[in-house]
Amino acid sequence: MFSLEGLTNSLQQWLNAHLNPTWVLVVESLIVILLAIALFAVLGLVLVLMERKVAAHMQIRLGPNRVGPQGIFQTSADTLKLIMKEGLTPDGSDKFLFNLAPFIVMIVAMLLLAPIPFARNFQIWDINIGVLFVSAVSSISVIGVLMAGWSSNNKYSLLGAMRSGAQIVSYELSAGLSIISIVVLTGSLRLSEIVASQQDGWWLFKGHIPAIIAFVIFIIAVTAETNRAPFDMAEAESELTAGFHTEYSGMKFALFFLAEYINIFIVCSVGATLFLGGWMPLHIGNWEGFNHIMDYIPSSIWFFGKVFFLIFLIMWFRWTFPRLRIDQLLNLEWKYLLPISMLNLLLITLMAIMGWHF
Amino acid sequence: MNASAIIFYSIAAFILGTGLLAVTTRKIFRSAIWLLFSLIGIAALYFWMNVTFIAAVQIVVYVGGIVVLIIFSIFLTQRSGKKMPAPALKRNAFAILAALFGFAFSWNLIQGALPSDVSRGLPSDVFPKGTSDGSLKGSSDGSLKGSSTGSQVSDDPFGKTSETVPFMKTSETMTSETFADVSDIGEQMLSVTDHGYVLPFEVVSILLLAAMIGCIVIAMKTPVEKKPEGSPLTIKEPVTETQKEVVS
Amino acid sequence: MFIKEYISDVYKAVKSLLTGMKTTGGYFIRPGEIITQQYPENRDQLNLPERFRGEVVMLHDENNEHACTGCTACELACPNATIKIITKFDVSPEGKKKKALDTFVYHLELCTMCNLCVEACPTGAITMAQNFEHSVFDRSKLTKKLNQPGSKIREGVE
Repeated sequence: MFSLEGLTNSLQQWLNAHLNPTWVLVVESLIVILLAIALFAVLGLVLVLMERKVAAHMQIRLGPNRVGPQGIFQTSADTLKLIMKEGLTPDGSDKFLFNLAPFIVMIVAMLLLAPIPFARNFQIWDINIGVLFVSAVSSISVIGVLMAGWSSNNKYSLLGAMRSGAQIVSYELSAGLSIISIVVLTGSLRLSEIVASQQDGWWLFKGHIPAIIAFVIFIIAVTAETNRAPFDMAEAESELTAGFHTEYSGMKFALFFLAEYINIFIVCSVGATLFLGGWMPLHIGNWEGFNHIMDYIPSSIWFFGKVFFLIFLIMWFRWTFPRLRIDQLLNLEWKYLLPISMLNLLLITLMAIMGWHF
Repeated sequence: MNASAIIFYSIAAFILGTGLLAVTTRKIFRSAIWLLFSLIGIAALYFWMNVTFIAAVQIVVYVGGIVVLIIFSIFLTQRSGKKMPAPALKRNAFAILAALFGFAFSWNLIQGALPSDVSRGLPSDVFPKGTSDGSLKGSSDGSLKGSSTGSQVSDDPFGKTSETVPFMKTSETMTSETFADVSDIGEQMLSVTDHGYVLPFEVVSILLLAAMIGCIVIAMKTPVEKKPEGSPLTIKEPVTETQKEVVS
Repeated sequence: MFIKEYISDVYKAVKSLLTGMKTTGGYFIRPGEIITQQYPENRDQLNLPERFRGEVVMLHDENNEHACTGCTACELACPNATIKIITKFDVSPEGKKKKALDTFVYHLELCTMCNLCVEACPTGAITMAQNFEHSVFDRSKLTKKLNQPGSKIREGVE
């Protein structure tokens, strides 16, 4: 049966047999870098196409359908176009920071990839504070956005960056609280242990209604954190042209664009790992036959299936809901999501102490 | 000089270089960004020392909180994009003096701490266990005179955390997987035993609560008698802004 | 009661959001309802909606007769002077002069397909056609004469 675990193990053995430990580490790092970049490129192409197709079907349209069969090469053509374009740097901008900002955003997205378990025993860095690492490092990306907005020397950019900053800083709280509620249930921050604790059922089902509330709050908060509609105040096309990346063009714009989709992928994979059991197959109670069939599907397929389900959910939000005003946005966070998630955390703690979950 | 040392020295050079740039640049926003890089470098140093929890907290508190706050206040000041005038000579002289003094002070500390532990290459279990949990104060006093307390608290669940003490990274601690779990830190934080931190923890929480209530009181508008002049939407804004600053 | 209001707010919000998601999700799972037309490919079996408006035409019957009396109601109704009606005087066998249509000039390049002229016409002489492939190489070709050469007004239309 196909498994990524066997692949990595045999590679490790082969390298250990031929090289000394330092070089094994270096070669493995290089392989990981290559794989991460390849994953980014593929994800960028696939997710942008998926977004356009989903958007089209929700608006009773067809979407891209000219380049290649069903338009599947549309995003590749767009990428080619963006590579060809000139990367303009405006005259009045702070040139160093202007050119640095897209790379900051991109590097943060790459760092976030490290602790995510893609399949059974297939993880770049099984760090013991996995969840905390993700929420800590993701807070750096707001700096990239602020930097881009400020250095463009453009009112729209600055306004977009300020909005984005306020939004990310506020929604981090409720996202963090809903993550903590699962950490309370699991008793560990290590992502692999969180997955392992869902062997007999996903937390979404095991945690009763509080877990479902936490899941909903998590999804809302990460939608806001990735600056996507209905929380796309930062780029609000109709009022700020393009928000913090108004002045960017060519490949530098493409980096922002790509980072947005990578961030969606990462928050969805964190959500899938915490609430939907990561790569764990779906198991139902004592149905031995059913569970065996589910085990036969490779764990990587389970993981990517769940992640893409969540991504679809977030795209569904985007193409359904109208954009929030800035005061509505802050009201939603501070008057609704935060109190509810605090109360919910108390409930979950009580549940974990009394052992009421399955 | 192995790979680990190379990584350490490059991180250290990164921290010092960006720190130097932060104080010498004439553009205030760039100064904030260099400070940010310096703080990220310190987090990287914590990662190198394998104290991942401290590293993550460093990023959450400093990068996600403090620097964002600094950047916001820069955005709200006037003429933040202009070059600042060069500081006066007198100020420069004092700054250099202060820097030299700080350098000498830390040199003194390192001189005191280094030879007793690292050069002798003590195994990690000889290190003081009860006093080494606070990563900030462990390096100087803990390693010099703390070894007498080492035996009496050896059953403490937090005893495995000797790697939180800076400058004590030996080859054993680098490879072994005996690092403190986050739950150990949490238990230590709320334990009421001799080496627990429940009192400082609660005092700090009360301080933060007081700060938050103070912010709300300052930002809250008392319902004025005269009918509202501005739009009703603007009244709610300041409260949320300050709350956000405090909590983050 | 504050708490009750709060909870009902949350409940109503969630419910209305779910209603919206049900609509778009319904469209997503029913691709048969897609209204996009694959234009150059489906040119032979174009499926235009009933109320699609392409250009103004004048109706002629098999005897090459139209129903336009030259009353210029359409010209007056047009918001951007698309229509210009040139009239002449027909002399009836009894020697009575009668106003009649000479040329119905229609500037397609100015037309916004607003349908006001068709609504204004008292005799139903003009209507909106569904032809939309109007591109030509010369702008002058867009100025059209709607009454066919040699056509005359139908008997009995006043």
